[in-house]
Amino acid sequence: MAAEELIDARQMSGFKPFYQFQSPTRVIAGYGLIEGLGFEFAKEGATRVLVVTDEVIHATALIDKVRAGVEDGGLEVVGIYDQVPPDSDSSVVKGAAQAAHEHGADSILAVGGGSVMDTAKLANVIFRHGGEPRDWEGYYGLPRANDGLGRPEELAPFACVPTTCGTGSEVSFAAVIKDSAEHVKFQVGDFPLYPRLAVLDPESTRTLPPAIVAATGMDAMTHAIEGIVSSEWSPHGDACALQALRMLRDNLQLAVEHPEDDAARGNMLIAANLAIQPTHTGAIGIAHSLSHPCGAHYNVPHGVANAINLPWVIEYNAAAGEDIAAKYRDVNELLGLEVGGDGAAVGHALADHVRETVRTLGLPGRLSEVGVPESGIPLLVEGAIGDGCTLVNPVEPSEEDFAELYRKAL
Amino acid sequence: MAYFKSEEEVYEYIGKLFKDLSVDDELAPKFRKANTIVQYQYSNPKSQITVRMIDGEDEQVDCGPTEMEPEVIMTMEADTAHKFWLGKVNVTVALARGQMKAKGPVAKILKLVPLVKPVFPRYRAQLQEAGRTDLLEAA
Repeated sequence: MAAEELIDARQMSGFKPFYQFQSPTRVIAGYGLIEGLGFEFAKEGATRVLVVTDEVIHATALIDKVRAGVEDGGLEVVGIYDQVPPDSDSSVVKGAAQAAHEHGADSILAVGGGSVMDTAKLANVIFRHGGEPRDWEGYYGLPRANDGLGRPEELAPFACVPTTCGTGSEVSFAAVIKDSAEHVKFQVGDFPLYPRLAVLDPESTRTLPPAIVAATGMDAMTHAIEGIVSSEWSPHGDACALQALRMLRDNLQLAVEHPEDDAARGNMLIAANLAIQPTHTGAIGIAHSLSHPCGAHYNVPHGVANAINLPWVIEYNAAAGEDIAAKYRDVNELLGLEVGGDGAAVGHALADHVRETVRTLGLPGRLSEVGVPESGIPLLVEGAIGDGCTLVNPVEPSEEDFAELYRKAL
Repeated sequence: MAYFKSEEEVYEYIGKLFKDLSVDDELAPKFRKANTIVQYQYSNPKSQITVRMIDGEDEQVDCGPTEMEPEVIMTMEADTAHKFWLGKVNVTVALARGQMKAKGPVAKILKLVPLVKPVFPRYRAQLQEAGRTDLLEAA
């Protein structure tokens, strides 16, 4: 096969010409790990810890337990920075980095959801290398040895205690931050941003409202399904994503209906952690492309937008070719759904299952229910086309395809 | 050994392609939707091409020094750029492997990637017209 054909081919099966998989974050999961945070973080070189969190979490008993856990290991909590808003901003990143300097920290511990973890990641970059947050916008741009060709310079020891079960930021190499002054969200991605340690303890989600468990759980499901069918899929990513789907199948509903079920909440943390793994190779898709502008323009929570958009994208992709449908068949088989018929039938079966899951979880099923007007579709389409996730979807959508997907989801 | 022997050769082929695209009736308006200034910084040989794609403004392509302030900077070997325009580089993979590095709002450039596919045959034809089959065969 000529190189051009290799690039254009979807490469949904067979031996891929190239993929890269890395998962350098040490993940520990289990009960009682918050109590041993210091013992574990010390292994990563931390001694003087700045805790980054938000005011809501700071007001709960969790931060007291985190402090006690860090100090029990002989480490010192030199400060708690709790000014991270739900949709973090460049100014907050600078504030956290400044706090690390002022308190003489040598390490950072993020306790929170995606916004907190992404803020702490980029604050660590500023803490180590200086500059403004947007100076680091882009991919693979952090300082490296050997005139930029060698190993990236390490950041300060960084650990995460996720308090939601969807983002997976605790094991990802990217951070997404808003720049309010310029009304844009920007991304920074490079290997040193991988946290050194992720602590998955159901204690950290004890007070998480069921509606947030549902929405973030659907975000994790979207990561897994999009990762499997992405043009940048990999066998390593598939292994993680399929196990994530098994765990979501068995725990999502349970965790929403029975918030007191520690095992279900713990397994949801693990599912979200596994579900993000395919995206290390950029494997994601247009459910995310559709959802990002919904958040940017109409403040639709990311997990909710994904839950609404995902089934329409599944039907769109699955009907486009047998090689893509075959990947969805793997998912259907795992979920006990119909695997026969053509791509459209396979896609329809999975899409209906997702819609039923969304309904059962009590989440909105339509964009119109969450404030997206029909008149906003042209604006949303523009955002979706320009989204990086569009590039790795197994099918290349046109502007009209995006508009039609939005109309269906409305 | 690098495909291009000199900075001038980079401009003669890749620079010319950008200049041709900037006046293309079909593609130029689509590229201008990126609404940015992107600079391609090449190594082996060291060279630089800066392209202004701003909605409502004419495109500008500067080979070498420029007074334009780039918003996005793409860094790669000139060989990688050559292979890209021949349609032999997957951008996602090149980014993941570090063969391309992107600084700035990368999404603005990524959304152009599907648009450039029709340009690949044009680059090939340009090399053929120039009698540079060595460049066609080298990649």
